[in-house]
This record gives sequence, structure tokens and C-alpha cells, in this order.
Amino acid sequence: MAATQTNPLRVGLRQERVISPQCLVIFGASGDLTHRKLIPALFELFRQRRLPTEFSVLGCARRPWSDDDFRNRMAEAMADEVKQHQTAWQQFAACLFYEPVDLQQDEDVVRLGTRLEALDRQRATRGNRTFYLSVSPAFYGSGCRALANAGLLKDQSRSRVVIEKPFGTDYSSAQSLNRVVQSCGQESQIFRIDHYLGKETVQNILVLRFANAIFEPIWNRNYIANVQITAAETVGVEERAGYYETSGALRDMVQNHLTQMLALTAMETPGHFDPESIRSEKAKVLQAARLANEDEPWKCCVRGQYSRGGNPANPMAGYREEPGVNPESTTETYVAMKLFIDNWRWQGVPFYLRTGKRLPKRLSEVVLTFRKAPVQLFDAAGGTPTANQLVLRIQPDEGAGFVFDVKAPGSGMRSRPVDMHFSYDESFGEPSDEGYVRLLADAMLGDPTLFTRSDEVEAAWRLYTPLLELIEDAPQQLPVYPYEARTWGPGAADNLLAEDGLMWRRP
Amino acid sequence: MAPQLTLQAPLQLPPNEVPAYLNRLWSDHLKDSSGAATFTLVVWEPSWLQQQLIRTGRIDGPITGLLNGQLLDAARQAIGELGLPASTAPTAPELAWALGQQPGSHEAEDLRGQFVDRAISAHQPRRLITLAPTLAGDQNLESTVAAYCPLPEERGLTADACGDVVVLRGGMGAMQQGLAMLQELIPDDLPCWVWWNGTMDESPELLDALAVPPRRLVVDSSIGEPRRCLDLMVQRIERGQAVNDLNWLRLRTWRESLAMVFDPPNRQSALEQVVQLDIDVEGQHPVKGLMLAAWIADRLGWHLLNNFWIDGGAGEGRGIGAEFQRKDGQSVQFRLMPVPVGMSKMHPGALVGLRLICAPPERSPLCVILCSESGGCMRLEAGGVASMELAEEVVPLPNESEEMEMARLLGGGHDSTNPLLATAAALAAKLLPN
Repeated sequence: MAATQTNPLRVGLRQERVISPQCLVIFGASGDLTHRKLIPALFELFRQRRLPTEFSVLGCARRPWSDDDFRNRMAEAMADEVKQHQTAWQQFAACLFYEPVDLQQDEDVVRLGTRLEALDRQRATRGNRTFYLSVSPAFYGSGCRALANAGLLKDQSRSRVVIEKPFGTDYSSAQSLNRVVQSCGQESQIFRIDHYLGKETVQNILVLRFANAIFEPIWNRNYIANVQITAAETVGVEERAGYYETSGALRDMVQNHLTQMLALTAMETPGHFDPESIRSEKAKVLQAARLANEDEPWKCCVRGQYSRGGNPANPMAGYREEPGVNPESTTETYVAMKLFIDNWRWQGVPFYLRTGKRLPKRLSEVVLTFRKAPVQLFDAAGGTPTANQLVLRIQPDEGAGFVFDVKAPGSGMRSRPVDMHFSYDESFGEPSDEGYVRLLADAMLGDPTLFTRSDEVEAAWRLYTPLLELIEDAPQQLPVYPYEARTWGPGAADNLLAEDGLMWRRP
Repeated sequence: MAPQLTLQAPLQLPPNEVPAYLNRLWSDHLKDSSGAATFTLVVWEPSWLQQQLIRTGRIDGPITGLLNGQLLDAARQAIGELGLPASTAPTAPELAWALGQQPGSHEAEDLRGQFVDRAISAHQPRRLITLAPTLAGDQNLESTVAAYCPLPEERGLTADACGDVVVLRGGMGAMQQGLAMLQELIPDDLPCWVWWNGTMDESPELLDALAVPPRRLVVDSSIGEPRRCLDLMVQRIERGQAVNDLNWLRLRTWRESLAMVFDPPNRQSALEQVVQLDIDVEGQHPVKGLMLAAWIADRLGWHLLNNFWIDGGAGEGRGIGAEFQRKDGQSVQFRLMPVPVGMSKMHPGALVGLRLICAPPERSPLCVILCSESGGCMRLEAGGVASMELAEEVVPLPNESEEMEMARLLGGGHDSTNPLLATAAALAAKLLPN
């Protein structure tokens, strides 16, 4: 979210919760995520004075680095930031420590425990620890086990584990992984990250729905005709071919990010704003969700793969021509589908989800289309009256819009649609925190509201199981349609809505 | 008010035996506790108001040191009965002093230090030391100790993080005597917070002895003579001590409300064109209003040119005026006025209203008025603001207790003063005329 100006009265004013003294232990500290996201996020928290003095970061990886090696490498990776805030960096760097640790080696984990005790004494961090598993997903389970076996997760009020995505590759693997991590600690100690939940505008769905009395009475099947959820990217697979070839759009985007937006949009009102109430409602709505046609799932889902596109000045390779991609790959880079939610609120209301790479615009949004007025009293300037739409723009141009009809100027009584517009930039002008800043802070605060609970993760995987099985067992029934790069996906995706007399919103 | 789940009944010991007893306690009963690695909290807890209200029979005991509704009601009633100005805040030292002139000899059990707010105990302090001076100045020093563990709902299911509670009670002379022993009780290797929960005027020697750097000092600049409050904070901040001010923390809703007005980027340029700032406060304690003005001036880069007293109307007392110079060289006029109120808020000098007038060139002036939730802003709405673009907001009353604020400080402790407070306190001290 870009800021146009900074309000000088806003500096240092955020009414944030205060993070307790603790040590953050990052496994995989030599990896990209640590220097690209985690340490910059922590430095931001430090500069906002949201980290206590009694704080330390212990980087852990197999490389035989020293504390100073770790500090220097982080400083190099964040050279611009460090240059801008040299004094603050020097203070912050004093909180950074490093211990060579291979979580598969028992003696390493024992040594880790000893180092943590020493750091507790040195930094007065009170035995309060957050363990961040920024390692290969294959090591999530064994990493948790190693920590539990060393007694490092024993105190449930003062130890937490943050697990990166993806959490499993299907329903069964997610269940297995849940069993493993839950055998290592209490559910309240497990923080499964979904980066979308760190976005201000995703969180705003909750505030918009539950802080405004006008929306909740009409947020149901009586007034809403359909819901479209879109996450569109302009980029291709870039350097992630190795991972993407095994995941595809369904696993990479739909099962987590789009499903979280679906859950927040469709969940019931929680009794309280507390983590368990919110996560319970999200889990319940996901358990009530189903593919529009579970018996014949190919009828409610369309897969696509981008092919060459662009123009002579800026040609774009097709997915199969990208480095690292199998030239005969059938991995989907686009997926669209129709879901229903079998509960009182949403019975019969279709939810359309779509995501894709190399689409014309980078945007994420939730669009609620309302039922049309029961009687058409006025001629519509555009020929047919427009249904009201509430558009929640997740990114970019974060905000919300409401489309409604007004009288078109002139002597007649014709109606035409206009857009009422709310923009974060125009209203606040203040950049919101990067998602990792929010999520790291919440994990260290022990607040799991924006992290997915085991039953949510499993419900999300179960929802897409018929599709995953179909792709595995009979991929010809769910073919991958090519679409030209920088178009809105294959024509078959348009047909999915055309069958219901609808069309995708062209944002 | 949450009683601690003590491992043992509070034990009264001769003061000179306390350090050795606690050492034994930790080596025997609490040797497996991980509570040793947290912090020490020392609380100066005179509770003069509560003690006087109990002594004069206006409320029942016990003496706990906590402000509750019954105590505040009785205090407000006493303000009227003792002929104090209606703007006198219940926690103003003047009230406790006036009550001290009244007859009475009621007594009550003294449980100060034995009731710790749940928000504070949830942080599992290693040691809680309460200094509880009594009205009887010649009372000998008594010391009570106990080991405690926070209640399970405060800290999860494990029960291996405990601490101890020490209460030193006696007359002011006895408090001085207990100082040497008290220093011995504060572990050097743990952070230590000193919460001066009383007026900043009293016992300066005791305050100096207790709050030695690098101990972190928590004060309330709304209680005490304004010059003393500001100077003390400024001196200690300049010496590098971490100072926290509950009065500053209570300004948060005002700062937030004002910032919200200027969040939209199309309003932000008006901040460079401020020509007038007016602040109304309750009663005769200007520190909170001065801190707010100082924060605004600092954030907007104003330079103080001069300051002066202003004679108020009948019964209103003196106000404070000042002239600032903006970054572009233009002048900003500042006025802080005490206004009478029918029923004051809990702390002296609470804010009633704020008015900020901006005069951007080639645009109509913008007038921002913030009003306290419990009071109107009629005085600030007068004077021709109707011809300006008006932005009015009601500032909600803070709803957190001292203990909650204290708990937030303890939870995210810093060993340095918040830079915004440091700058605001220094400028507020300059704004207060001598």
C-alpha cells in the first residue's frame, strides 16, 4: 500500500500491543526468507519500538556461522535499510545471535537448549520463545519433534512454533502433519502462517462486516446473488518452477489464500473477537463449503495454463517454455471454480473463485453482487439495470467500492451505475505494515487469530480433495486449457459463469 | 483485584531477617522455578487518599492501594463537603491533605502489596516489593514476605514460574530505615521497575534512593507540583534513565484523535499552516495540556519564542500563553486555559478540549476541535469558527486502569525513554512559565 504523504502526528503513535520479552529462534536462518522478510520485519518492529529491550533473535541453520557472520550477512542483505537507519541497526544487530543447528541431530538440539538458556540470562528473555520453522516443508514434522524431545515446547504459555506454508500437500498429508505437530505441543502453540491473513485489507473484511450494522442484515442469500473471489497475478512462474511444477495454482493459491478470503467473507458472526471464536467460525464455514458438483467435479472447475503472449516489443514465454518447467507440463497456472456453502445463510448462493498467473492485472478482490431490484421502474442507460456490487479490494488500490444506480443527468428518468469509492491511501495516507510484520508480531504476542487452526487447514484441503484426486487419477477429465499470457484465462472459465447467466467481473 | 495464590501464608519477619529468608526460600522451595529470570517491581504505594478516607470513616477498609468506584465516589463527595473547588480531581494531593485535617480514628487492615492486579501478575515478576507508608509517622518498620504463583488462568497450565512478595510497612522514618535492606533485595542482574505511585513532591530523598539508573522509573506527572513533575522527568531523561509517565500514556486517545483528523493526505498540508492552538484543562494542573501542546509543536517543527502567564476570568485561575515560530517563520499562538467543571475526572489536569486553527493560503481556514467525551467544547466553538471549515471529534475517555497501563509497560519493557515523551517533557518544561 503506497503512502502519498506521512502524517507527522502519526509517527510513533500506533496503538499496538506490546510484545513480551522473548527470544525468536529462526530455523533456516541462512535461507532467503530470513533476510528478505523476517529480519526486515523484525527491524521494522524494532524501529517502531514494539520489541522490548529484553529480546533476542537466534538464527539457526547448518552453516557454521558465528554471531558476527549472521549479523554481517543480514546487514549486507538489507544494505539500503541499514544505511538509512545506521544507529538503529547497530542497536538491533546486538540482539542477533547465531547457532549452527541441524534439527535432525540430537546433540545439536541439546546444544541449542543450552544456548537458549544462556541467552535467557544474557538478555533477560524469561524463557519465553518463539520458534520459526523457515525450513523445507519436509522437515516441519521432524523439526517439531526435535524441539519437543528436547523439552523446548514443554511450557505452553512460553513457547510457540510458527510453521510456514504449505501445510501439507493434500487432506491426508495435512492430517498426518497435524497429528505430528499436535503430539509435540498444544494447538495453542502452533501458528500456521497464511500470508494473506497478514494483509490489512483481508483483516478489513472482518471489520467491515462486523463493525458496521448496515452490512450484516443483508449479508446472506436473501440479498446476495453471487460472490466472486479473484487473485490475479501478472507475473509468470519466475524462479519458482521447481516448486510450482509440483503444486500448481490449486495448491499454491486456492487452498490457502483464496480459501481464507472465502472463509472471512462467508463466516458467521463470532460471539467474541477472540482467536478461538473467529477460527471456529472460519472452520465451520469451510466445513460447510463444497464444490458445486462433487460427483462430477470437472463440471464446476476449469484449469488453464498460460501460453505465449505479449507483443513484439515485450514477448512473453509460455509456461512450458519457462526455465525449469517440463515442456509437456500439465501443471495449471490458472484455476476457476464454483462452490456452494451448505448453511442457512448461503444456501444456493454460488461462490466463484479464480486465480492465475500472467493475467492482465495484478489484483485481489472479493465482489459481492446483490440481487436485482424486484421491479424495474426506470430505463437503464446501459440497456439493463445493474446489480449493486460491493467490491472489497485486497490489492492493489486497497479499499472498497459500492456500485449502485443513480439518476442519469437529463430530463428523463433513466438510471445508470456509479461507484462509491473508499481508498486506504486517500483516507489514511499511511503505509500499513508488510504482512510479515503483523504476523511475526502476532506470533510473538501469542495471538493466533490470523493463523490457521488444524481444523481449518484440514477443511480447506478436504474441500478440494475431489479435484486433487481427479487431477491425480483422471487428469484428462480436468484438462488444462491454454490461454494467452496477459488475458483473463481460458474461455472455458467464462463458460463456467455463462451457464448461470453471469460473467466474471473485468476489473 | 486478584489475590495471589500464595505457596505460603504471608509471613511477618523482622526486617533484618528478610534477605536471608528469601535466599533460603529460593534455594529450598522455589529452586526449580523459572520465575527467577523476569524482573523486580518496586512500588511506592502511599495510598494517602484511601488511608485518609478510611480514617475519617468515609469508606471501609481494607487498605489495598487500588482505586475503585467506592473510593472515587467518597472522594468526590468529600471534595464538596470540604469546600474544595469542584474541579479538584479525586487523586489530587490537595484532597488527601484536606482530609488529613479532619478528625477521625477509624482503622482497617492494611493489605497493600498483597493484592496485585491480574494484568501485572501475569507477567510473573520475580519479586514484588511494596513500600507502604502509614499515616502514623512514628510506626516501626514491619516486613511481610510470601512466595506466590500466579493463578493458572493468568499464566497457562504450568506452575513452575513463581516469585515472591515483600511488603515494607511503617512510618516515613521507618521507610528510610528500610532502604538499605531494600537495596539488598533488588537483584542486580534483572531489570527493575520503580513505580512511584504517589505525588512527585513527596520524599525526594526516597525517590532518589529508589529510582537509581538503570532502574526504570514510572511516574504520574499529573500528581504533584507541575514544575517539580516536569523538571524531575526532564532531569532523569537527560541522565539517560528510562522514564515512563502514566499521564503521558493517558494522552494517547487525544493524540490518536488529532492524528486521525489529519490522516487523509489532502488535509496534511494544513498542518504546515497552523496559526493558533488552544487547550482547555480541568483545574489548575497544566502538565497534561502542556505535554500535548509540546508534542504537537515538536511533531510540526515549531520553535518556542516566548511564554507567559495569562490571567483568567473570575474563579478560573491563571492560564498559560506562548508564541511559537513555524518552520516557515510564521507565528503560532498558543493558549492553555483552566476551565471549571462540575465533576472532574480522576486525575488532575484532565483535558477538556483542543482547538487547532490552520490558515492555508488560498483556502478557507480549517478549525479542528477535539472535545472530551465527558465535557462540551462550547468555549472553543465560540469566536467565529463558524466561518471556517470545521472538523470536530469527540475523544473517548481512556478505559484502562493504572495497573493495566503498568502491565503494558512491564510486558514490553524498554531501557530507554520513549523519544516522543522525552521531547515533549523537555518542551513542556520550557512552556511552563516560572
